[in-house]
Amino acid sequence: MATEPARILVWDGAVRLVHWLMVILIPLLWWTAEEGYMDWHKSFGLTMFGLVLFRFLWGFVGTWTARFGPMIRRIGSLNSYIGKLRRKEPASTFGHSPMAVLSVFAMLLTLVTQVTSGLFSVDVDGLESGPLAVMISFETGRQFAEIHEFNFNLLSALIGLHITAIAVYHFILKERLVGAMVTGRRSRADFPVDPETENRRPIYAMIAAALLSLACVIAISNFS
Amino acid sequence: MRRCKSQKIFPLLASLALLSACGQNTETDADSQLANVELPSGMTVKEQIEARQSHLKEIGKAFKTISDQLKTDRPDLAQVQAAAALVPREAQGMADWFPEGTGPESGVETEALPVIWENKSDFNDKIDSMQDAAAQLNTVAQGGDAAAIAAAFKATGGKCKDCHDKYRQDD
Repeated sequence: MATEPARILVWDGAVRLVHWLMVILIPLLWWTAEEGYMDWHKSFGLTMFGLVLFRFLWGFVGTWTARFGPMIRRIGSLNSYIGKLRRKEPASTFGHSPMAVLSVFAMLLTLVTQVTSGLFSVDVDGLESGPLAVMISFETGRQFAEIHEFNFNLLSALIGLHITAIAVYHFILKERLVGAMVTGRRSRADFPVDPETENRRPIYAMIAAALLSLACVIAISNFS
Repeated sequence: MRRCKSQKIFPLLASLALLSACGQNTETDADSQLANVELPSGMTVKEQIEARQSHLKEIGKAFKTISDQLKTDRPDLAQVQAAAALVPREAQGMADWFPEGTGPESGVETEALPVIWENKSDFNDKIDSMQDAAAQLNTVAQGGDAAAIAAAFKATGGKCKDCHDKYRQDD
């Protein structure tokens, strides 16, 4: 007799790997920029570019919880979700909650802006520049650097919001979210309604997205 | 009695002054006076600051040209040589670009730190060694050996940073 597994996959390995690599890389990127270790900054930045690109592709071909389509559709139930939270009703969502969807999109958009502006940035002395800055003038490169700097503050604020939200869920709403981002799994009993879909892992799509991202990183690093 | 009256009038005047300040330049009169002080060079403080910023920006542009070319497998030597020749020219007389009074206290937007004028001889030494490195870069560039140019470029950039780390406001 087949029994349904007690723990089900919420976050696939690719989502988790990308997430935790970003957790490591973002502080390193900040620190290398502050200290002027620009060679490291560029290597980490290019890695970050690859991760963001992969995550973007994975949003189209990945597991159900990773895909943007179902996430967008969930925004419609934002109000009812907030209502449930207020009434302290069980509201665990399989995947991103309607509120988390907004956060994810904001962070991804900021990350795309950050890695893109970095590729074209030129420092004030004209000594250091992103791999694609050869295409643009000193002045334009400086403008990209301004965006790069300003946008980092935006990214930091969103990360702060993200961590605060995790803490609020943990301590006030008694929903432990960090564990699921580590193991990928949550107890089936956590969800008020059974997940409407199986989080199937499209392995070939993953390989294709990873290879495409890697190819773009290599192409950019050898651009000039 | 009089005192009482003026106490009432003061906040009124203050708010009027604040209101009239709205929409005006944030630069105060005292600041703009300092900015317009004429220096021995004949330039005003503001002109001097803007002149050095424009020279430094030209050097930045030249550095980007060299850096862009050095990134490629086959650098365009003509471009590198033109840019390398421009650097010592633009950097000429740099020690004179920082007379007393051209720091942030002038109210003009500048990243030059006041510590420059507390260590003027060290500051000038650093300028000297940057100019030497730039002259060397120019000589090497005219030779046309990409690896040697890259080394000389790195050395010159290092000399720029020596000064900027200590005497320029962090971004």
